[in-house]
Amino acid sequence: MTRLSRFRILLALPAVGLIFVFMILPITNMVDMSFRTTGTTGPFGDAYTLGHYNRILGDGYYWGVLLRSLVTAAMVTLLCLIVSYPIAWHLSKARGTKAVVLYACIASPLMTGVLVRNFGWMIIVALNGPLNEVLLAFGIIERPLRLLFTQGLVILALVHVFIPFMVLPINNALRNISPTLTEAAASMGATRLDILRDVILPLSFPGIYPGVILVYVLAVAAYVTPALLGGQMVSYMPTLIISELTGTFQWPLGSAMAIVLSLSSLGVVILFTAMTWKMMERSRA
Amino acid sequence: MATVEVTGLQKRYQDFLALDGVSLKAKTGQLISLLGPSGCGKSTTLRCLAGFLEPNGGDILVDGESIVSTPANRRGFGVVFQDYALFPHMTVAENVGYGLRLKRLPKGEIATRVYDVMKLVRLDGLDRRLPKEISGGQQQRVALARALVLQPRLLLLDEPLANLDARLRDEVRWLIRDVQQQSGITAFYVTHDQSEAMAMSDMVAVMKAGRVAQFATPREIYQKPTERYVADFTGEANFLPVSQVTGTGEGSYRIVVAGTDLEVTGVPDIPIGWDAELLLRPESLSLVAPDAGTFRGRVTKSAFLGAALHCEITLDDGDVLRLAADPNEQVSAEGKVGVAIDRSHAWLMPKVAP
Ligand SMILES: Nc1ncnc2c1ncn2[C@@H]1O[C@H](COP(=O)(O)OP(=O)(O)O)[C@@H](O)[C@H]1O
Ligand SMILES: [Mg+2]
Repeated sequence: MTRLSRFRILLALPAVGLIFVFMILPITNMVDMSFRTTGTTGPFGDAYTLGHYNRILGDGYYWGVLLRSLVTAAMVTLLCLIVSYPIAWHLSKARGTKAVVLYACIASPLMTGVLVRNFGWMIIVALNGPLNEVLLAFGIIERPLRLLFTQGLVILALVHVFIPFMVLPINNALRNISPTLTEAAASMGATRLDILRDVILPLSFPGIYPGVILVYVLAVAAYVTPALLGGQMVSYMPTLIISELTGTFQWPLGSAMAIVLSLSSLGVVILFTAMTWKMMERSRA
Repeated sequence: MATVEVTGLQKRYQDFLALDGVSLKAKTGQLISLLGPSGCGKSTTLRCLAGFLEPNGGDILVDGESIVSTPANRRGFGVVFQDYALFPHMTVAENVGYGLRLKRLPKGEIATRVYDVMKLVRLDGLDRRLPKEISGGQQQRVALARALVLQPRLLLLDEPLANLDARLRDEVRWLIRDVQQQSGITAFYVTHDQSEAMAMSDMVAVMKAGRVAQFATPREIYQKPTERYVADFTGEANFLPVSQVTGTGEGSYRIVVAGTDLEVTGVPDIPIGWDAELLLRPESLSLVAPDAGTFRGRVTKSAFLGAALHCEITLDDGDVLRLAADPNEQVSAEGKVGVAIDRSHAWLMPKVAP
């Protein structure tokens, strides 16, 4: 082994160590726990069982919640993409101070803590909150809208907070597109719409892809926002899992649900990757 | 297949005037070179023609009609960029066929036209490759094919050979010229390489700081430049200071140069008292016996270059001439020589155009 490659391994050690201690070990632990019987004296029993998985997969209720989690995350991702793309476009064209200010604005959702942000939403959309008051004052609505504890609000709040994760990679990809490509297309007769569809969109895919994956995975796993803004009426997988863990102390069942959720969202990511593989291969510079 | 007339074109970037009244004219089927050092406004001129930039003044007429308010995508001009600007996510055939696809032509017709033009630029067999999978010279030809396939009224090329190595440059240069002449497309060609401009063009516009210093045929640009800047930019040149310039008719003058009286031709209407110089290209000079010829001096440097013997002669009054002598000439350092000039190739011109 050369000195250089030994040095490289040394550089990787801290990261590998962190991942091992805080990710590999806990996940192994969780997988193990998900196959254990429910414990009476400790968090789980000594015997192994498939019972928890049977229970989850055999129960329409769990399927429904899982599906809602996956579909909601997909909607959040799609909306986030639609909202973020024009922002990323503007950001990619900005230079100097304007770019710095824009970056700050875009990162702003991440600058407030998750609780503060969600309580903010609760106050804004409350029955007698500022949003309803403004709408009432302008005569746009007759009675206050009940927005709190709806799925729509959960989606809106998640889209808002995930925008930076979508904007930044897309902005990066857009900046890498040479402006002469646009001119070349125009000289061949392409309208602005043609250029967007045939040149800009495909070539920004190396930014869209990581944005979509990041936001989807984060949205599937989001807990605080659905719990606070979604209320008791609509359940998502993470809220359900937490209630198993902290409410009924069913750790093995909770672990099994967490694993089912992780594998499902991994499956969606793999499906998305497979569907867009060809496009990705081509658009990578 | 179009005539082009550019008149008084102006372009301002913030407070910098990049084009300050550029005027050019192209007849159908001509190739016009825009020649000049970096930053003189060649690309800006071309981009105004292409429609990527909106000029702040002046007009561009194509076949007699102004096109300045026509957007780039409706001008129907082919553009070849210095960096080729190939779509990296499209195959070679898709790149070439993109303009045809936008016109919603039937698939079969697109395929035949793409095939034909790819054969024309000798790219056959590469249609399924991505741009990153072919060489620089091939990419350059894809860019050319992509512009040609639409049978443009005007072909605009911005330093298309700048990124190629010397051998390829020569090959692609002739390919461009051949294709342009065969198809009879009017073309504008930006370059900072004088030999490229001279060899390929019907007309050359030598540009200087946002203006056209001279617009003429390559021969005229070389032999009858309007000022020192043009002569300097178009090849090896000797400039001798002159005194006592008297006009003796349209474009002919009597001058005193290096102590000798001479009758020469030159730029018409040089104002009286204007700073003028005599241009002597190295090939219009020859070494003769010390007491013959027009000028007398001694050889201060000589270098044998195979095909020619390059000599530097210091004249008796201190002026220096460079010339290419017969390689078999025997010169001795500090030896006295005479220099004969081919008077039909001596040219009087102002140092700076009035
Ligand atoms: N977008 C721009 N903004 C400001 N100045 C520019 C811009 N583009 C070109 N220039 C300036 O205009 C002048 C002419 O540029 P250009 O036409 O590209 O020169 P050339 O192609 O002859 O090298 C240069 O001095 C250049 O710095
Ligand atoms: Mg240029």
